[in-house]
Amino acid sequence: MTAALTLAPVTGRRRPLSVTLAAALLALVVLAAVLAPLLAPHAPDAIDLSASLVGTGADHLLGTDSSGQDLLSRVLYGARSSLVAPVALLAVAAVLGVTLGVLAAWRGGWVDTLVSRLTDVMYAFPGLLFTVLIIAVFGAGMTTSVLALGLAFTPTIAKYTRSLALAETRKPYVDAYRVQGMGGTRICALHLVPNLGRSILGYLVVLFGEALMSLATLSYLGFGAQPPSSDWGLMVQEGQAAVVQGALLPALVPGTAIALVVVSFNVVGVWAADRLGKQD
Amino acid sequence: MTTTTRRTATATALAAALLAATGCAGADRPADSGPRTSAADLKLDATTPKAQGGLAKANWLLEDEPDSLDLDTQGSSAGRVVLTNVCERLYQLQPDMTTRPFLARKATTSADGRTLTLTIRDDVTFHDGTKLTADDVVWSLERHASKDMEQSDEFGNVTSMKKTGADEVTVRFEEPDAMFLKALAGDAGIVWNKAQVVKSGKEFGTPGRPDACSGPYELASWKSGDSIALRAYDDYWGTKPLTREVVFRWASDSALVNALRTGAADGAYAESPNTAAALRADQDLAQYYGPSTASLVLIPTDRGGLDDPRIRRALSLSLDRKGIAESGYGGLVQPWATPVGSGAWGYEKAEFAAAQKELDEDAPASPDADDLARAKDLVQEAGAPTAPVVIGTDASQGRTVVANATRAALQRIGVRAEIKTVPTAQFEEFYSDPTARADIDVLVGDWYISKADPMGFYDNGLSDSSNNWVGFKDAAYDRKVKQALATLDDGKRAALAVDVQRTFVESAVWIPVAQIPTILVLDRKLTGPTASQAYLYYPWAAQLGAKKG
Repeated sequence: MTAALTLAPVTGRRRPLSVTLAAALLALVVLAAVLAPLLAPHAPDAIDLSASLVGTGADHLLGTDSSGQDLLSRVLYGARSSLVAPVALLAVAAVLGVTLGVLAAWRGGWVDTLVSRLTDVMYAFPGLLFTVLIIAVFGAGMTTSVLALGLAFTPTIAKYTRSLALAETRKPYVDAYRVQGMGGTRICALHLVPNLGRSILGYLVVLFGEALMSLATLSYLGFGAQPPSSDWGLMVQEGQAAVVQGALLPALVPGTAIALVVVSFNVVGVWAADRLGKQD
Repeated sequence: MTTTTRRTATATALAAALLAATGCAGADRPADSGPRTSAADLKLDATTPKAQGGLAKANWLLEDEPDSLDLDTQGSSAGRVVLTNVCERLYQLQPDMTTRPFLARKATTSADGRTLTLTIRDDVTFHDGTKLTADDVVWSLERHASKDMEQSDEFGNVTSMKKTGADEVTVRFEEPDAMFLKALAGDAGIVWNKAQVVKSGKEFGTPGRPDACSGPYELASWKSGDSIALRAYDDYWGTKPLTREVVFRWASDSALVNALRTGAADGAYAESPNTAAALRADQDLAQYYGPSTASLVLIPTDRGGLDDPRIRRALSLSLDRKGIAESGYGGLVQPWATPVGSGAWGYEKAEFAAAQKELDEDAPASPDADDLARAKDLVQEAGAPTAPVVIGTDASQGRTVVANATRAALQRIGVRAEIKTVPTAQFEEFYSDPTARADIDVLVGDWYISKADPMGFYDNGLSDSSNNWVGFKDAAYDRKVKQALATLDDGKRAALAVDVQRTFVESAVWIPVAQIPTILVLDRKLTGPTASQAYLYYPWAAQLGAKKG
């Protein structure tokens, strides 16, 4: 997994220009994904072999790939899977990771030791290799990739949640609920987890870029999205062979889209996590 | 502002933003990428102009390092490109893809076709200076025929191989075997120096071991992971080579392109047409296209989606072969109506060419309205498969285009399709492992045969062939293939081959897409090597030299 971009802590109430620009770009990408059917000049999987690898022009504003598919249309539609899949991945990882983290912090003792060692073992195993092994057993595809990467991201979230929950369980309100006779499960579900929510959410925003990158990597390697999907990672893979022939756009357009969105999510994510942490 | 205008304006703004980010504007293809060749304009020529002068050293590129230089145990293309200059065969494949006796000075076949008598040349020495004898020939043939050796299947019909005179070897067959002499021009005909092979033992063919052959070049060195060097053998019995030393290194894709562009390498046989396409505009490099047996094909399986021959024929009728050739391969492959390239026409070329032309109606280069109407009728008659047809491919540019074009062709005739992509390293498993292809209905494949005879291919359609993945069964076809393989007369065998070829194509046992020529990329100052697929079996480096004396 790639390390998330770290920025200097943000001080004061004013939002830095970089965050504004990154947020604006992300808004644009979300808009493009939602409005793709209205914006795309061609169907994303329409083949036109007579227009293979054409450059930018009136018919194809960003050119075409080797199968004559319109790159602009594909990159617009590709924004959908490139945004939705990381959300699904992080949802899987969050459900598992938060449950394990809170469980370890709340129960302590052998449960904490077991969860901690388990996450240590998973940390020691390269995430991408772990994912590829799962895909080798269950087969390639976006669903398998999301589930496999969801598992691979779980230890990160579990560790983060455990550290937050350990501090939270020592707060007086937890003892107060205990004294009132409230059960552990209810305290965790109704009070502890909601109180950690904003910090965890901020962390998930930081992880979003990494999740997107990991999914794109799997699609690039042929394990994730399958043709004719216009997933950006898959588009880079399909476009890279044309680079040697001097046709750069088929790989460069989706590659740039990935880079911009990942960086933007990191910028916004770090800022948001910092703000939410301060508020907590 | 109308809806369309607004949509265009918004799309333009988005495109401009992305273009600004990518730093690109204007045409994608750079000015020096050269014009795209039309597949129809590609002319194949087996030879390059004769060299006029010698050369001290040539640097040559292979796409991979050979696994071994023992072609009996590991027969790879890279190994053949090197070893064909070092090791000679009983027969020799010529640049025009015909064969002629070579280390066997003469070959006589008995009237019943079951006995072949080879007269061995008596003026040949191996690179260690010892004389090549009939004993070496028999020993080599027996080694090739041994179980687990790459060429053992060529000897399935052989009942005995014996030395029957000082320079005479007699081979007996159960049935007449039209392919045997062709096989002797391939790896099954290499004559090894028995003493050297025995001396090297299990290490034979590995780095640091000498070669065990006769030929214009001898193996000078093999530095594992770095290079293989050949030097001219001074006591060679035949015409002395023009180039004194040939050094092979290996690179693929962009590394190969850059090495040729910068002059670090003098030439290469490009396995990928797209690599050659990238070099087409280079003023310092010439490209030659020659006949080959290789072809691009769709290989259906018995999974279900394409088990009805009518659906397969409909796919063949609706496939845009010309579009595939030009988009996926830069026009460096040719739309083709049979599953084996024109390099297989080692005899009766005119008859095979005419038969190929007749099959265009079943496998058109660019389907017209009539072809599509016929295809739709076939689908309607058979009923479209209920599940999507799964197309197996890897992510290479050419195969991706073929897979996309196949999906588009199927959709055009009312058949749903999806693509399954696997990493290139996993792709080869489709050929060798039936379980790997259990989830696909059709594979985007390529294929070549070592023999310059279409009958070297059509046994793939036999009911019991391991390459008949779709389970095609036709007793008449089986009978005719066996009859052709036992017919020694070229004219009669060609007639049978044309007959079985028609059945194979009409039944779409495999669906032909394009023929893939051999592509030689060479420094413009050099010339001489063959441009045909004979480069795998003919000492091409011996004719490499300077264009001017």
